[in-house]
Amino acid sequence: MIEKYHGISPKSDLVLLQKLGERLAGKSFLHINSTRAGGGVAEILHRMIPIISELGIKARWEVIEGDELFFDITKKIHNSLQGKAESITGEMWDYHREVNRRNAAKLDLGADAVLIHDPQPIALVESKTPGKWLWRCHIDLSAPWEGIWEHLSRYCSKYDAAIFSVAKFAQAMHIDEFIIPPSIDPLSAKNREMTPQEIRDAVTKYGLPIDRPMILQVSRFDRFKDPVGVIEAFRLVRKYNDCVLVLAGSPATDDPEGETVLNEVRNYTDGDPDVFVLLLPAFSDEDINALQRAATVILQKSLKEGFGLTVSEAMWKGKPVIGGAVGGIPLQIMHGHNGFLVYSVEGAAFRVRQLLNDPSRAEAMGGKAREYIRNNFLITRQTRDYLSAWFAVENKGKNVLEL
Amino acid sequence: MTEPFDFKQCTTMLKSTGKRARNLRELRECITVIDEESMFHHTFQYFLKGHLLEYTNDFAHWAGESLEERALSERLSSIDPYEFDTMESLRKSILTVIDDYLKKFPEPRQAMAGDEFYFNQTLTLIFSSGIRARNLAECLMGIKYVDPTSIYYHFFEARMRLGADDFSTWIAGPLERKSLAEKIRAIDPFMHSLEEIRQHLYDTIETELKTEMKTPGGEL
Repeated sequence: MIEKYHGISPKSDLVLLQKLGERLAGKSFLHINSTRAGGGVAEILHRMIPIISELGIKARWEVIEGDELFFDITKKIHNSLQGKAESITGEMWDYHREVNRRNAAKLDLGADAVLIHDPQPIALVESKTPGKWLWRCHIDLSAPWEGIWEHLSRYCSKYDAAIFSVAKFAQAMHIDEFIIPPSIDPLSAKNREMTPQEIRDAVTKYGLPIDRPMILQVSRFDRFKDPVGVIEAFRLVRKYNDCVLVLAGSPATDDPEGETVLNEVRNYTDGDPDVFVLLLPAFSDEDINALQRAATVILQKSLKEGFGLTVSEAMWKGKPVIGGAVGGIPLQIMHGHNGFLVYSVEGAAFRVRQLLNDPSRAEAMGGKAREYIRNNFLITRQTRDYLSAWFAVENKGKNVLEL
Repeated sequence: MTEPFDFKQCTTMLKSTGKRARNLRELRECITVIDEESMFHHTFQYFLKGHLLEYTNDFAHWAGESLEERALSERLSSIDPYEFDTMESLRKSILTVIDDYLKKFPEPRQAMAGDEFYFNQTLTLIFSSGIRARNLAECLMGIKYVDPTSIYYHFFEARMRLGADDFSTWIAGPLERKSLAEKIRAIDPFMHSLEEIRQHLYDTIETELKTEMKTPGGEL
């Protein structure tokens, strides 16, 4: 498995993985989350567990079980951590704790390091075993709803360390807090290399022209992704530049507003034959990959965003990305260097025009974008960071460690 | 036998202190209390982050980009952390610049929500790259091919440990080439990216080797 990343991931990441593996070989590393399929956490764990195992570490992945009520409560907790007003009653917290207790009784929690993902299984720490326990929060905690964090932090303080995706999501606590951004897997269907024929086939399958520059945004049909703003920007671009716009997204089962927004977007296109709104079936990873590779310029004009890993996915394909300056997007795009950050429809249109009219600059930017992702946002870096955090917790008090 | 040069490399991982500042006064208050590791990260480790070289430390960067206090950011950027013997004296110097500015402009801007200054520190993991140089020519090859974090570790981080970069220390010491070491010490650490530093090191050593290889009338 690891050898497949040779020539793709930075050599230093692979060397460090090997060194950490030598130190941690024979030890056990348990990951626990709440779903085996669906969502970015499960997606990355499927790929990461074999990598860790290959280093000689006994890696294990367990999933907690819960009923509909439990997941309704944890959805509310999730939304509330992201700033939405939610009422979570004492009974709800009790039920959350009770389900965690039942799972703790069923699961084998014995391991040298236990990494608990997100709030659903956070209360397992009450059944803490002698190993090192780390809580990994994948959620944007920059502005949590009043009171919610105070409740969760009672569990959090029982861990040996916490891990957040971005520094601004971290909270004031008395335990070590590591910042580990998420990552993409360059070998997955969504990111693997494709032949020109595969790309052409996918583009023609959706009836898209192959002989005109393509502006693309891949995202759910969600107002925070500003699809209407993207169409407005496209109209400004079209005054002087011949191109087409593709808005591609899959339906999200957990988003009841998706269909309403999709209809709004379709109405807003007003029958423009150069605007293509594609509702892709679930698991269209290969098609998304092909569309990104076929695009001339990629937009992620979000108004609110978590980390926004779709930006990394697009940049990995060597494309200049124009992104809204929100959430984790500024961590991926260095304005003017490997893409552009924008704050308005007009700003987005201006940057699209710049890139369409200066293909050599667009190509250079795309090249820098790919290298930036290679050095910072691939799965090998995230695996390396998880092992480093574990190793650091084992050597508490030291900020410089020689391997 | 000459003591070889062991190319090491390092990886850093961010750690949050949980502290944040929304304006210049809060930044000042936090700078007075943060620990030395956090001071080190926001000053000496600025070059690890691959920023465009508009500033020379995170405080200057934030003052310029988030608060848009350009004059302050220029003054903060002119602070050379290598001039100070202790982290405390560096801290004092930064506070003096901020205090001067606050006297002239007592009501500085607030940063936008989400654009506050977050105080971090780093966990650094050091490990051998497996490359060792026994002479200047091998050192040249090493510089050409090692990971950029190796250049960071030996050129920037070493100044904190030893007061000088590792390359010039080795060249002046075991290799006894003092004038070449001086040329390397003359490379401005603030004006170049890591790759530019690598190129400067390579060019300086290559020129020395070429000069030595030439016999009268020879040309390389």
